[in-house]
Amino acid sequence: MRGEIGESVMEMSDQKIGKLFLIFAGICVIALPFVVLSALSYEPKEIEAAQMEAQNRDFDQNGNAVFENYDQISKDYLAGTSTERTLNEYYSRRQYLGSPPYIPHKVETKIECLACHAKGGWTQELKRNTPLTPHPEQIYCMQCHVEMTADSLFVANNWVRFPPPRLGKSHLPGAPPPIPHDLQMRGNCIACHVGPGAVTSIRVEHASRGNCRQCHVPELATGLFRR
Amino acid sequence: MPVFSYLAYPVKGAKKKLLNDLSALDHCEVMPAKNKEVLILVTDTPNEKKEEELQNKLKELKSLQSLGMTFGHGDV
Amino acid sequence: MSITRRAFIKSMAIHSAVVAASAMFPDISFGAWKEKDIPSGGIHWNKAPCRFCGTGCGLLIGVSGDRAVAVKGDPNCSVNKGLCCVKGYHSIQILYGKDRVRKALVRKNGKMVEVPLTEALDLVAEKMQETIKSHGKDAVSMYGSGQWTIPDGYAASKLFKGCIGTNNVEANARLCMASAVTGFLTSFGLDEPMGCYEDIDNADVFITWGNNMAEMHPVLFSRMLANRKSKGHVKIIDFATRTSRSSQAADKSILFKPQTDLAVANAICYEIIRNNWVNWDFVNKHVSFHKGKTNIGYGTEDHFKFKDKPETVDFNQYKAFLKDYTPELVEKMSGVSAKDIKYMASLYGNPDKKVTSFWTMGMNQHTRGTWINNLVYNIHLLVGKISTPGNSPFSLTGQPSACGTVREVGTLTHKLPHGVVMKEKARKMAAEIWQVPVENIDPKPTYHTVEMFRALDRGDIMFMWIQVTNPMVTMPNLKRYRDGSLKGGRFIVVSEIYPTPTYDIADVVLPSAMWIEREGFFGNSERRTQHWDQMVPPPGDAMCNTWQLIEVARRMGYNKQFSWSRETYIQDIWNEYTRFHDNPKHRMAPYTVLKERSGVQWPFVDGMETRWRYNAEYDPAAKSEDFHFYGKPDNRAWIWLRPYEPAAESPDSEYPFWLNTGRVLEHWHTGSMTRRVPILHRAVPEAYVEINPDDAAQMGITNGSKVKIISRRGSIVMKASINGRGNPPKGMVFVPFFDESYLINEVTLDAFCPISKQPDYKKCAVRLERA
Repeated sequence: MRGEIGESVMEMSDQKIGKLFLIFAGICVIALPFVVLSALSYEPKEIEAAQMEAQNRDFDQNGNAVFENYDQISKDYLAGTSTERTLNEYYSRRQYLGSPPYIPHKVETKIECLACHAKGGWTQELKRNTPLTPHPEQIYCMQCHVEMTADSLFVANNWVRFPPPRLGKSHLPGAPPPIPHDLQMRGNCIACHVGPGAVTSIRVEHASRGNCRQCHVPELATGLFRR
Repeated sequence: MPVFSYLAYPVKGAKKKLLNDLSALDHCEVMPAKNKEVLILVTDTPNEKKEEELQNKLKELKSLQSLGMTFGHGDV
Repeated sequence: MSITRRAFIKSMAIHSAVVAASAMFPDISFGAWKEKDIPSGGIHWNKAPCRFCGTGCGLLIGVSGDRAVAVKGDPNCSVNKGLCCVKGYHSIQILYGKDRVRKALVRKNGKMVEVPLTEALDLVAEKMQETIKSHGKDAVSMYGSGQWTIPDGYAASKLFKGCIGTNNVEANARLCMASAVTGFLTSFGLDEPMGCYEDIDNADVFITWGNNMAEMHPVLFSRMLANRKSKGHVKIIDFATRTSRSSQAADKSILFKPQTDLAVANAICYEIIRNNWVNWDFVNKHVSFHKGKTNIGYGTEDHFKFKDKPETVDFNQYKAFLKDYTPELVEKMSGVSAKDIKYMASLYGNPDKKVTSFWTMGMNQHTRGTWINNLVYNIHLLVGKISTPGNSPFSLTGQPSACGTVREVGTLTHKLPHGVVMKEKARKMAAEIWQVPVENIDPKPTYHTVEMFRALDRGDIMFMWIQVTNPMVTMPNLKRYRDGSLKGGRFIVVSEIYPTPTYDIADVVLPSAMWIEREGFFGNSERRTQHWDQMVPPPGDAMCNTWQLIEVARRMGYNKQFSWSRETYIQDIWNEYTRFHDNPKHRMAPYTVLKERSGVQWPFVDGMETRWRYNAEYDPAAKSEDFHFYGKPDNRAWIWLRPYEPAAESPDSEYPFWLNTGRVLEHWHTGSMTRRVPILHRAVPEAYVEINPDDAAQMGITNGSKVKIISRRGSIVMKASINGRGNPPKGMVFVPFFDESYLINEVTLDAFCPISKQPDYKKCAVRLERA
């Protein structure tokens, strides 16, 4: 857990990551004996406040996709784990939290993306577990997900990432953490939080329970209730 | 132009002194907590050399018990 | 590094410290400072239309402090219902290219020098006055854009047409939508589609005419696929000259030889009549028949003039005209089998099927662009499949405000915000609203876009102000116009956000505030007006284009006409502009309504949007029990007898290939914005030439090898793409035009549709050489 803040710091800076880490290490030495930073629990008042209005019914506002997906996915998959996918990698493929990730592998011209990304599982070719898409009902994948064919930039930019939410932000010790992100296009929790294709640090340990939003609720406002 | 932020902990009873010491340094912004013995320090130095100098100065402060880094940005 | 970015990083640093401190001491307080300065009390979401294509997707832009940090589709916007494409999701990154133009630049002794913005604005006004004095008012010109916001275009029209008194106002929409406009005007008498995007949810059959929607209008394409998936029986027919991603997703791909869409459309009508699928009730009540001039030329020569002469005919004459277009005869011309022609006719003719046709540049960038627009309307009119949910001939636009700014505000040489300059009534109305003497408004149109650049080359125009467009990449037969703009004495002002080939020819560069750095309105393909507020500050000295025009107008002495205040000018302009459209056929929604909603369709009458025009059930202006085509004096829609005529230049033994040009999904137009978005650039870093695998094999060209493309006008060398995302048929090559390093428009031809004056970027003859 302690590493998470360090990781998100690295996400923030677009250059000199190695150097930064050295500085970080240096600071830790100065800072002895007091080591700060536990991301395990804190007041989440400053986290992303979404002024969300009533969502269009075309979106899975009630979270039906979770139930459908839960019924279709095998117990083995639900129980599957792996440590190959880290949160850092997850964020590195997105320009900001919620942006469509790029395609990190080669794409054949007439490929059927959903053949792999709708059901997940081990792929021999890439020697990895395939992550699931949270929105398999969208079938024109390349509208939003594009393959990278070059490393270069046309010109550099001044883009600054907004820091992603921290992990484990339960309000009480042991309480289920709220959902820190939008559910639009990402309402199917299983896709990212369950199974061997999921990111290790956000995978749930109780995948056999299918009704995620019974305990985990979206955190939409940042203030407190006021009469 | 590195930017860092830290939680700065004073040696016992020296919060006011630490606030003054840190405020006196170049490239430093300090925000004391109202009700706790801790301060937020934000450093914004123009280059690596200045950054190093600043860190050496920080190490020498008698009123500072420890620093915990909370943010770092090393962009040019 | 910009101050604002620095401030943002620092505020993030503070934020991180506060979060960490809160983790240690849950009740810690940093006093008032905490509430005020932390950027992340979160992300604030504001609505804006997407900056790119004419679909007009609603976006929610996440803003933190003074930075745009995230995007999501606006679930409340009926256009896209929360979905975007890869450009839309990454659109905010176009603000943050490192080479943003932040300062005004003036050419001094051949070198561009940074100057205070006021000095640059002084110079622009001074040069304009000087040019008018020495060369006359028709020597100054404005070249704008379908990406202009509505207030930009309105201010430009008022300054040039109302105050200066020249009709030298054109916009790049001439290169993109002019044939759609003349198509609408000749067939219906009023511009813009009768239907709306809800047609997509209601149709049973989609026929796309030369339209790669999967890449050009991906969000609408997905909506089409969703309809097909949910209904099961829906068919998508891709009728095109090249196979693309759209062909792969379609139920049937039908290829035709370039330019023969004219013949195929007529053949479909021939079949509809032969099988008696005509909706006689509709045709007898709502349709009249007309013919115009034929052999109308291609406009490749300077000073080309054309005026059509419509003549009313009857159904029998129309039927006789179609005798030349039997499916069997047309098969020989077009390469489309008679069977496929009959199949398409049967889809249009089936009374139980709702049919929507879509097109964009394939039909508009066409030397007979007006005609092919007319011919597709003919099909829909014969079977009465129009102006009802799902039955829709639908002309899509390419730019976010080609409709809103160019077509509705009328930033074209012959247009005024309401009506045309030739009509006294329209001039009087404009003069009254603009508070200028009516004699100021010249009743004679001057130059359309191609002719305007020719006039610049000839020296008839000596001053040009270019905003929000990149003609030094997009003009066909580019070399002539670039050389022309650099000739002695020409003065070019460019309002820009990034260095481009157009920026390179400028004598003055004005830094512009773009999109969400200012308040504005766009108008999309389906008559939807979309407002957004300023969300972030512009960089450096960058100034909103509307305000640049106001500043210059005031310097020229037009204070009375441009007296709006800096705080409310966008709203004030909207209130003034909408006086032009205060009638039930075109009324626009008031400012307060637009501010609230994610777009409102006009005509907006008695608080209601009009989704289907000309249909009495939906359109309050329609006075009839069913349909009323009130745009034409005979209250009917017009079917036109338009023949097939060949392209301006066709392949021959010397230049044996067709050259087709266009866009790709990831890049928008000349790429000056999208190429600065890391993920978009990395997906398609450079342009290429698509070659048919058989042609390539025959010439020994392999994937990635260098090919020289040569036309009568110029040549370029670029890499070959074989079996890439698109595949042209034998005898055709395709090149995307986004890449300023490969200026394909040095090769293209500046022939245009004589009626719309829109150039044909899809057809000219080239030869290939290995390089």
